[in-house]
Amino acid sequence: MKNTADYVIIGGGISGVTVGYFLIKHGAKNVVILERDYLTAGATGRCGAGIRQQWGTELNCLTAKYSCEFFENAKEELKYDDAIDIEFHQGGYLLLISTEKELEQTKKNIALQNNLGIASRLLDKSEIKQIAPALSMDGLLAGAFHQKDGHLNPFHTTQAFAQAFKRMGGIIHTNTYVTGITTTGGRVTGVDTTQGHISTDCIINAAGGYSQQVAQMVGVELPLYSERHNILVTEPVERALNPVIMSFSLNFYCQQVPHGSFIMGRTCDNQPRDLRTTADSEFPVHMARSITKAMPSLKKLRMLRQWAGLYNMSPDKCPIYSGTPELAGFYTAAGFSGRGFMLAPATGQSMTEMILGLEPTLPWQRLGLSRFEEGGELILEPSVV
Amino acid sequence: MDKTLEKTGIPTTEQVESAFPPQERLDEGAVAIIECFQRIPCNPCATSCPRGAIVPFEDINDTPVIKNENCNGCTLCITKCPGLAIMVVDTTWKDPAGLDRALIKLPYEFRPLPAVGDEVIATDRAGAFVTKAEVVQVLLNHAMNKVPIVTIAVEKSLMRTVRGIHLDARQRAVVCRCNDLDEADIAAYIAGGATSIDELKRVTRLGMGPCQGRNCVPIVQGMLARTLGVPVAELSPGTYRPTVKSIALGDLAEYDSARDELGDGEK
Repeated sequence: MKNTADYVIIGGGISGVTVGYFLIKHGAKNVVILERDYLTAGATGRCGAGIRQQWGTELNCLTAKYSCEFFENAKEELKYDDAIDIEFHQGGYLLLISTEKELEQTKKNIALQNNLGIASRLLDKSEIKQIAPALSMDGLLAGAFHQKDGHLNPFHTTQAFAQAFKRMGGIIHTNTYVTGITTTGGRVTGVDTTQGHISTDCIINAAGGYSQQVAQMVGVELPLYSERHNILVTEPVERALNPVIMSFSLNFYCQQVPHGSFIMGRTCDNQPRDLRTTADSEFPVHMARSITKAMPSLKKLRMLRQWAGLYNMSPDKCPIYSGTPELAGFYTAAGFSGRGFMLAPATGQSMTEMILGLEPTLPWQRLGLSRFEEGGELILEPSVV
Repeated sequence: MDKTLEKTGIPTTEQVESAFPPQERLDEGAVAIIECFQRIPCNPCATSCPRGAIVPFEDINDTPVIKNENCNGCTLCITKCPGLAIMVVDTTWKDPAGLDRALIKLPYEFRPLPAVGDEVIATDRAGAFVTKAEVVQVLLNHAMNKVPIVTIAVEKSLMRTVRGIHLDARQRAVVCRCNDLDEADIAAYIAGGATSIDELKRVTRLGMGPCQGRNCVPIVQGMLARTLGVPVAELSPGTYRPTVKSIALGDLAEYDSARDELGDGEK
């Protein structure tokens, strides 16, 4: 292991590899990614990997749009080899509307989205039927749809970034646990790992569900907690669902991946916040109940497996892209609140601009830690699961 | 006792020989050959035979005993055997090509299926090339338990050796049937630095299919152990997740009403 680096990224999930890739792309050298297990071992490898641009705040719309456009051009940009297929399926996101309140909020959201160049639209029931014939219309008022939304394969997308990162000279150490961070006089000086010490004056904490533990190594308390979220997958079948279906009031999202499996999740009550990712035995029952109500034809489809991953939750459910006032050289890209994958290209670009002092492409200054201080401006997103 | 079968999954010549009926019976027409040598709790072959040719089991762990005189080679039991341990051999087939060939009717669960007239590679019980064979019939209908039967014609002298076919001239060794991964695919990822089942799972879908790793994981653990030079016992077993068996979403959704009806196990 080389014992010095200009930049050390902690975390080999999608956020870590995108930050690494964008740093090198913008001229940084000697960039190292440290991963405790293997790439995508944490939340990245457990997520639904959906991309939606239908948000209720300008900032979330813009970051998601940036990411979506990046993924559309990922092959030309990253030049990954043919063994990798990021499986970007742009079948759209169909948000189901079942209450007047949702309808009202959706209309506002669509107006905002259209203003920002996101071509979302309100659908009536007959249009919903055309886009998703398997859906039951019971209790539905309307739908919101944006064709360019969709989902990817999170494993291969991470590999695609990692491959580009390594080709451009980046180094990834897997099975390497960060055991401590050294500092002197209010700035970082290096990381201790199970494979040895690396001297550096810049560390990026992209440890996802474990980012709080990493920050605690240098005595920084991030306003975050990690919560278990559950998901399940079915046997693969012929394509029967094109868009991602999502409902806030029925509390679920569901998609059919190119491989044929249906993947679905929902937010469950009383989930542990102690980094556990064990299976919740209640979840499949509630999930099956919601989804078979929304799509009765899925009753015969067999579930193969359930698992869980960590949502790293911030107070306003928006990410933290930030330096640390009391510790120079310690950066945080965390608190994605379930959208780390969706926002990854925006994360990479924004963190790189912040660290290298470049002009902001996106308004990432608003995502700093200072927003949680008195007088700070939170980003209150009305449309999260 | 010979442990070859337990160690390799391949029966010995003596075991194969014992599954075949005497020559006189072969000369009379089609007959089922059941290569089931281990006592396990499994009896669909016996319960499926409409002619009583497979003697009803006294104990569900019994291995099947076939009454050759009752068997007419109907192939019904082939589709019922979860271990794909049954084939039908017919040495009385009138070979239109005038060659000295027998028919072998094999369960074949891979896709794509071959077509009648195709030339396929006939393999032995270890999966090694034996000869080329002609496909004479391909059967699959709704009554067949999703087990297609492929009938091939092979030289009579090789009918005790041939036990499988494959269509792929590359002679790949399939490791993961659910996601169609072969040994070379997996070996490339291990050579590229993968050191655990979970890591391989995340790049290849190994273990993510309907078998949930029951077939592929032991094979790949062996590959990892040999390549890394670490005993299997020291490798991470990989993460196993519920449910133990696949279950229809409709049944899951009705879990509560089922519990009301059946009780929750307390008497």
